[in-house]
Amino acid sequence: MESGVLMSEGGACESVIEACKTGDREAFRKLFEKYKDRVFSVALYFFGGDEATASDVTQQVFLKLFTRIAQFNGEAEFTTWLYRLTTNACVDEHRKRRRFLQFGDETQVLEPRVRSSNEDTLARAEVAGAVKRAVSALKPKLRVVMLLKYFEEMSYEEIGAVLNLSKGTVASRLNRGHKILARKLGHLRAELVRAEQES
Amino acid sequence: MFTKHYKKELSAYAHGELTAEETEHVAAHVRACAACRAEFEEIRLGVRLAECLPEAAAPESLWEGIEASLTKDSAHAQQRHSQIQTHGQTQLEATRSQLSTRSQQSKRFRRARTILFPGAASIFSSNRRAFAAACVVACAVAVAVGAWLYVRATRPSWEVARIEGTPRIASDRIGERGRLGVGEWLETDDASRAEISVANIGAVEVEPNTRVRLIETRLTEHRLELARGTLHARIWAPPRLFFVNTPSAVAADLGCAYTLEVDDAGRSLLHVTAGYVALDAGERESIVPAGAACLTKPGTGPGTPFFEDASEEFVGALARLDFDGDRASLERVLKGARARDTLTLWHLLSRVGADERARVYERLAALAPPPEGVTREGIVRLDRAMLDAWKDQLEDRWIDGGIPAVRKMWRKLWN
Repeated sequence: MESGVLMSEGGACESVIEACKTGDREAFRKLFEKYKDRVFSVALYFFGGDEATASDVTQQVFLKLFTRIAQFNGEAEFTTWLYRLTTNACVDEHRKRRRFLQFGDETQVLEPRVRSSNEDTLARAEVAGAVKRAVSALKPKLRVVMLLKYFEEMSYEEIGAVLNLSKGTVASRLNRGHKILARKLGHLRAELVRAEQES
Repeated sequence: MFTKHYKKELSAYAHGELTAEETEHVAAHVRACAACRAEFEEIRLGVRLAECLPEAAAPESLWEGIEASLTKDSAHAQQRHSQIQTHGQTQLEATRSQLSTRSQQSKRFRRARTILFPGAASIFSSNRRAFAAACVVACAVAVAVGAWLYVRATRPSWEVARIEGTPRIASDRIGERGRLGVGEWLETDDASRAEISVANIGAVEVEPNTRVRLIETRLTEHRLELARGTLHARIWAPPRLFFVNTPSAVAADLGCAYTLEVDDAGRSLLHVTAGYVALDAGERESIVPAGAACLTKPGTGPGTPFFEDASEEFVGALARLDFDGDRASLERVLKGARARDTLTLWHLLSRVGADERARVYERLAALAPPPEGVTREGIVRLDRAMLDAWKDQLEDRWIDGGIPAVRKMWRKLWN
């Protein structure tokens, strides 16, 4: 099966997707390896750092992806389709959980555990830690546009396509997200400059 | 009098999501409107912070769960299809029988070949090995070339248009157009000129005998290196988004148009024609408004900015003070300073010793009395807030020459 081909950085290679459509497990694995961290990150930040829920949602997303991949006809970008599945799964899970949660429970913010490397310097780690707490505390509708923008580097139009929003609404939500981050973390300006110089 | 503020468009502006026309309107407005400028600084800080958002790693065990579910599903599917497979068994047997006949024919052909051409088997065999090795090498080369082409095609780059002559990118001549990738040099000889499109935020015209490299291009930073030669930059982006590194300082665009020249010794001359440019080297910074210029020198960094209509004697004395450490030249600079040269005197405050600073203060205060709350003692001890307050007041004088009366009135009304 033709699944050993190179996958492009921007999207999944067509031949890998075609191989997945024929049930090639190795191709599924490749697709999973390529997108697992980004899907998991979106879910993790969406659920305020709750790793167990993020893992469940990530599994659901990939199972849905593999069982429905035959329906993917290439009209939209593969990533648009994947992140639509991801955000829909997050929203569904959020709705399910809300029914069982007391008021106030859902505002609890855990700190997402993220990958760290020896290259991470003190200033970077400090800024990154503060940013992830602040993003986890954003309202879900603001959080999700920030995640698609900064993990996926999607354009406003692409984010709009994933979330069924107009470009203007995406712009307005990002505006609000940026302002909240700046107001909460304005005191980290000096550390940010150091972190940017280090990177 | 009413004007349109652009507060809702500022994130899209920072991300380069607006059209060129919209970008130009917002850039002009942000330069003139203090409220939108402050709001934009806030948005930009938010963008820079969000760029630090770390990606999380999915747990290793995730795939096992997914694979288990997939296996369960495929077991069900196999059960459903087992009947169909039984029906297909007869056809499969027939196919096997055909294959077996072909295999026997093939064996017969190999035996005949050995009898007719005794050495051929080993030749064919060694040729097969050589062919297989050649295939492996060809595949490896194809993959390497493909990967190289892919990396090259996906690397961020800017468009370069030839104006005249034969500009080169990475030593290759470009036709009418080319792409300057991150890390690549654009070089012009004495008969060549080119124009670089700086992402969607401006353009840089490259003069003959110039060597310039693209260092970085991303949402919050676009950076060139000018090793030698001359470039003219026209930028309509938010402040501090476009930078040019030179051997002796970094030119940071603050919304402007300017010419920057670098000679073979690494010295540079900046001449600003619109807006402002900041020249930075370590902790030393020179703010250069339209109509002013500034020299820089390796090891010293940016000198003190001066207006281009200043006298030769004034500029010469300033250069000796900045780069030769000739303290006697300070007297000539103070004596020759006009009302507009408060630009030079304000910069000198933080570059001379405490005793000399008091003399500079006296001359500056005589030309432009400090605002309320700014004291001689505060300035002598380099109180940052007082220096900034005085600069804010002086800035109107520095840019007045380039701003029509109507715009000045507009600035007063809305700032």
